[in-house]
Amino acid sequence: MNVLVWLAAILFILMILIGGKKGARSFFSLFLNFVVLLLTILFMTDPNADPIILTLIACAVISFINLFYINEMNSKTITAFISTIITIVILLFFIDMVTRNAMIQGFGEEEIEELSIFSLYIGVDFVKIGASVIIMSTIGAITDVAISITSPMREIFNHNPLISRKDLFTSGLSIGKDILGTNTNTLFFAFFGGYLGLLIWFKHLSYSVGEIVNSKVFSAEMISIFCAGIGIALIIPIASWINAYFLVKTRENNKIFK
Amino acid sequence: MNVIVNKFKEMTYKQIFLYIIIGLCFAASVFFVNHNYSFYERPIAKVIKTTLEDKTEMIDIHDNKDYLFNQLIIAELKNGEEKGRLIHLTNEYSSSGAYDQEYHVGDELFVSIDTNKEENTDLTGTIKDVKRDKHVVIIAWIFIFTLLMVGKKQGLFSIISLAANAVLLSYALDVYLSTSNMSLVVICSVSTILFTVISLLLVNGFNEKTYAAIVATLLGTFISLLITYLVMWLTSENGLRYEEMQFLTHPYRMVFMAGLIVGSLGAVMDVAITMSSSIFGLYEKNNNIPVKALKTSGMEIGKDIMGTMTNILFFAYISGSIPLLILYFKNASALGFTLSMNLSLELARALAGGIGIVLTIPIGLYTSIFFINRKRAKL
Repeated sequence: MNVLVWLAAILFILMILIGGKKGARSFFSLFLNFVVLLLTILFMTDPNADPIILTLIACAVISFINLFYINEMNSKTITAFISTIITIVILLFFIDMVTRNAMIQGFGEEEIEELSIFSLYIGVDFVKIGASVIIMSTIGAITDVAISITSPMREIFNHNPLISRKDLFTSGLSIGKDILGTNTNTLFFAFFGGYLGLLIWFKHLSYSVGEIVNSKVFSAEMISIFCAGIGIALIIPIASWINAYFLVKTRENNKIFK
Repeated sequence: MNVIVNKFKEMTYKQIFLYIIIGLCFAASVFFVNHNYSFYERPIAKVIKTTLEDKTEMIDIHDNKDYLFNQLIIAELKNGEEKGRLIHLTNEYSSSGAYDQEYHVGDELFVSIDTNKEENTDLTGTIKDVKRDKHVVIIAWIFIFTLLMVGKKQGLFSIISLAANAVLLSYALDVYLSTSNMSLVVICSVSTILFTVISLLLVNGFNEKTYAAIVATLLGTFISLLITYLVMWLTSENGLRYEEMQFLTHPYRMVFMAGLIVGSLGAVMDVAITMSSSIFGLYEKNNNIPVKALKTSGMEIGKDIMGTMTNILFFAYISGSIPLLILYFKNASALGFTLSMNLSLELARALAGGIGIVLTIPIGLYTSIFFINRKRAKL
């Protein structure tokens, strides 16, 4: 039998054993996310579609699945969802500018030989696709940070119902600081694990530092890592602020009605 | 304005010193990447004028419509013997830009200069590559500043641990290449231990919480590696398409397995530290908390993080293949073929990482309880 089927089956069994119903839902969300990603890619092959807008829609659907399907719809997940979308929009503009200026779209010199049988003039905008790749690689981490901030903030609010908006915001920030390091680390290792072959290639062919830094594949990878880190850091104040705003606002509204 | 002044007064000398150092590093590195032409042996030219020559429509054999452009570029040489002279370049690019791009005034390019030239005529040459170092440096700084602004001290620590891990990884690969008789998997396993110890100690400091996380991370990573290896062995790697693995100079299976360890390590570490800090947190709040209560709360926390953590890895791995998938699809490749060619290794990595994450939940729970019990016995 196929390696992938086996690994997927093992993961599914483990998730159910350890997570029960929620585990099954987590596994199913992975599957749904795969389908969403695949559909997005298929839509991107249409030259008339804008990859940036497709990415935005895909990110909304993916965070919808990650937040509402796994964690159910409630005030915590709704603010997490709103902050995810705001962060993604800001990040998309930034990354689109970066990929345009640094010219890291498409394929590098090292990859192009294997692709010589393909026609490269396929009419889709690779700059925008490059931006979309970077966003997609962090969307998992961004929704994770969003929910990890809004959920404990809600607990703090419930324990101290009279807390001021500013104090609530600061407590959100300090929760965020704790996860910042581990989350950037997670992405960092994932990227380097994926590109280990590339690193060995550079070392083996003894590229000079100048050649490595300026090559398209390496700079694209570094820029992805940095942009992912920026995204993770950005969502912390955004999610804290929005959540503090909404929590305090609902408290004030309730007072009026009483 | 007053707020800023007050903020400034609150800062200690140590902080001011640190900010000044960071500011100086920033200024120095940005100055360097903008004036480092003489450090490169390859000629560099800065574009000063571009003119669009012509635009043609082209349709390839798969009916994809694209536009080809021809661009005349005048650029000034920035280094070497011909420094200061102008060079004429031509650039052909497409509107999709998979392997080419339009150049704009101010872009810096690596070029080669044609030699067979008579005196007093303009230099000509061909474009080799783009100078990207200044972009990488600027974005690195934006990254560092965002992390410092949001994370303050923790942000600084995460930058330090990223840098330390990068240096360590680079050194490990050097060791691997210089001693070719050592297996990459062995070297990566040793580095895994170092990565774990360094990162977790930096984030959490020397205490039982960290030790529990270190033990859980190592157990989780290696057990998931073992499971993956067993599956690969049992199925004789049916379904893994190594042909499309890029940049191959070394045994691909080895590189794949080593990448698997390194790739899942970060996520497993994250789960381990979340488990150990929340369980130790419960214990510290109430020293007499029964083990059974720790177990139920621990499993609840585990259930909460399981889904989002596997998603992080999944997207980090799969998204890199988007450009290739689009290229395959636009070249009329069948869906199944495209997916198995481009995604089999990424999916295997994501699934193996997911197995590591899920396994680390009970492992992290029980190692934390073990360390708590030992602490209790001492009291």
